[in-house]
Amino acid sequence: MEGEEFAVGCLLSIKTTLGDEFEGQIISYDRLSNILILQEGLESGPRRNIRLLKANYIKEFSLLRQDEDPLDVKKCFLDLTSLQAREDSAVRQAEADSERFGVGVTSEAQNLFDALSKTLPVRWDKTVIVVMNEVRVSSPYLPECVSGGTPAANERVKKVLELERKRMQTRTSQ
Amino acid sequence: MNIPQALLPKSSANGFPRRRGDREGGARLENKVQSGKPNQGRNQTTGEVAGGKAGGYENSSRDRLVFLTTCLIGHMVEVHVKNGSIYTGIFHATDAEKDFGIILKMARMIMEGTSQGNKAVTDFVSKAPTKILIIPAKELVQVIAKDVAVTSDGFASELQHEKHQELLIDSVISQSRHVGMERELERWVPDKDVPECPELVNIFAGSWNRNWDQFETNQKLFGVQSTFNEELYTTKLERGPQMRELEKEAMRIAREIEGEETQDLHLAEERGFDLHDNLDIDEEMRYSSVFRGRGFDDSGYEEEEDIMLDSHNVETFGDSSDSLSRGQVDLTSFQSSDGARISSSTSLVDEAPSSQAAIGADLYHTGFNVQSKQLASEIPSESFSVSDSESRIQDNLLGEHGGSSDAKGFAQKQSPYEDQQLSNSIDSQSLLNDKFEGSDKAGPPANPTTLPQANFISKVSEKPTSSGERSECPAASKVNGETHSVNSRGQPGSSTSSNSDSVAAILASSGPGLSPSSSVGSLSSEKSTLNPHAKEFKLNPNAKSFKPSQTSVRLPSPVSDGSFYYQTQATPVPHMHMPVNYGIGPSFPGHQPVVFNPQVAPIQSPQAYFHPTGPQYGQQMLLGQRPVIYYQPEMQYKGREY
Repeated sequence: MEGEEFAVGCLLSIKTTLGDEFEGQIISYDRLSNILILQEGLESGPRRNIRLLKANYIKEFSLLRQDEDPLDVKKCFLDLTSLQAREDSAVRQAEADSERFGVGVTSEAQNLFDALSKTLPVRWDKTVIVVMNEVRVSSPYLPECVSGGTPAANERVKKVLELERKRMQTRTSQ
Repeated sequence: MNIPQALLPKSSANGFPRRRGDREGGARLENKVQSGKPNQGRNQTTGEVAGGKAGGYENSSRDRLVFLTTCLIGHMVEVHVKNGSIYTGIFHATDAEKDFGIILKMARMIMEGTSQGNKAVTDFVSKAPTKILIIPAKELVQVIAKDVAVTSDGFASELQHEKHQELLIDSVISQSRHVGMERELERWVPDKDVPECPELVNIFAGSWNRNWDQFETNQKLFGVQSTFNEELYTTKLERGPQMRELEKEAMRIAREIEGEETQDLHLAEERGFDLHDNLDIDEEMRYSSVFRGRGFDDSGYEEEEDIMLDSHNVETFGDSSDSLSRGQVDLTSFQSSDGARISSSTSLVDEAPSSQAAIGADLYHTGFNVQSKQLASEIPSESFSVSDSESRIQDNLLGEHGGSSDAKGFAQKQSPYEDQQLSNSIDSQSLLNDKFEGSDKAGPPANPTTLPQANFISKVSEKPTSSGERSECPAASKVNGETHSVNSRGQPGSSTSSNSDSVAAILASSGPGLSPSSSVGSLSSEKSTLNPHAKEFKLNPNAKSFKPSQTSVRLPSPVSDGSFYYQTQATPVPHMHMPVNYGIGPSFPGHQPVVFNPQVAPIQSPQAYFHPTGPQYGQQMLLGQRPVIYYQPEMQYKGREY
């Protein structure tokens, strides 16, 4: 698409070489990097869906109409501190979340983990669910696979596990 | 323009491991600082809008790119790469100087592009998220971000949204710019796809379900074996043939008490009476247990002492009056003539209805902080149900208190009466004790007549104030308060004791036998009958039996504990400083000499019963832990509201 001037504000319908199809309004086009910035969806409210597209992946496009510049330059705003904070918090959140998901475990195992985590402190240790830092439940996460911990804790984990499995069964059978 | 830390260049790309997206191999991405140009700068440089071909336009388009990518920082984005794979992660940086390669943090692959076509990756990843993922510009196809804030409104709302999502730390909360921001409250709905956990089911929804056993449930659900034994915490009720009668009797008494009129806001509310004629009673007054003095003057010290003493009074006298300064009880009693004391000493027996308060009122003497009301009310209660050993013990307790409080009161007041009163009270005490327990040595016969009777009599003529009534004079109010405190506020029993002491003594001498109904009249007659030739105490069978109130449980009665402990036969020595400091509660003015009357020995209790290190309650300590021999099964615990 060299030579074409992408006019700001134009509404385009685009097909990419990877098979994506969408419509969007041009916010900007940077020739140097060949990146087209599009805004998708209606411009309702302060939030928008932004898409950065490398123009060389555009298979075909068509101009739908020409509108005004969707970006009101006067209202544009950047608060670097809050951006930074946002990123930090997002990273923290992601890290916390990652603890919740077992790596290399089946979805069934993950479901069991989630159920246990409702009432017990649990964490992953590779593919082993560690409850209350004592009791370990390893694959395939049957009540027989519960080991460790005090007898009371062990029993309790077994019971919760059984209960959860039963629940999952009735759920899937419904 | 300042450069945010996050965008500072990291070490050279060599330090970063190759990622899947880096198919090219060897492609390095220089982490240049993304110049976060403030918009103002761009305003100046960007002149035109759509359609312009001027040289400035290119700048502006570049600027826009930079601006928008900056807006994406910290945002969750999706990055498509050349081979069809899709990654999702937190947008961290872009190489704005060059060709805008992307750096993501905590990235995950959600779609894998293979030569066979794209394949979705299951939700539960097989790999941990990549801490940092670099996508070179050559690989980059597109970056998709949703709900990006671009304008200032967007930023504001996003800020708000975020702050409420994450865990709030103090500094975040305290930042003033967040003041006033509220979040939209949403009604909680359980997760759709999660079946209701049995433990979340509201077992009590619907009618009162008494069939639910928490221990059994716990056992079933979690295999927890309970070791709970109810008898460890409460008195075992002996259910036998007499239960029926006792129950009936108890019910009757309870009904009587609960139907009593009261001026106490809380009690009234509980019983369904509407006392709220005074409109400036707010919620706090109605439902808080904080006592605000109701406008009466409470001097700090008095209050302290009184508080200690009050509890017994409360129980004894029931709820006849509303809350007034409890503290007054003791001190006033000291100052008053012994007649005032009379009522207190008889406190044990009954939560007398307002009539008692009326009696107390009669005794009120302006000059003194008389708890006459209370005292008066105590008089009827003097009809000990002797069978009620507890009351007797209570008496003893009170006697102890009385002695001590007397001493305290005296120390505090400058009245010339004091000494005399003290000696009198002590004498009375011993007298009373003698009467009650026939314990050994009796002190010199009490000579109540030496007490200024005139005061009482003059007061007797006063119109009795109802328990709830508040007199204008602070003293009067104190009287009221006394009674009131007796009724409902759990106060340390010590206060009662002081009163009871003197009162008991006087009563003993004056020939008790008053019925509750004869409050005022009896008091008058009492006063007149006070004479050195004390009569024997006569039990009034009509008196209501003493019921321990819940409050008594809560309050420490340090003095009594101490007194119990000494069950010696030593000669009563007035002003003897008893080393009573067993777990003295904070309210106990330790600097006051405590007059201990060793003659006040519990009648039946074994020595072990009054254990100084035991629970610091009054009669409450009897329950549950020791062989309860003093409380008749009919003694129901009527939970007193406060």
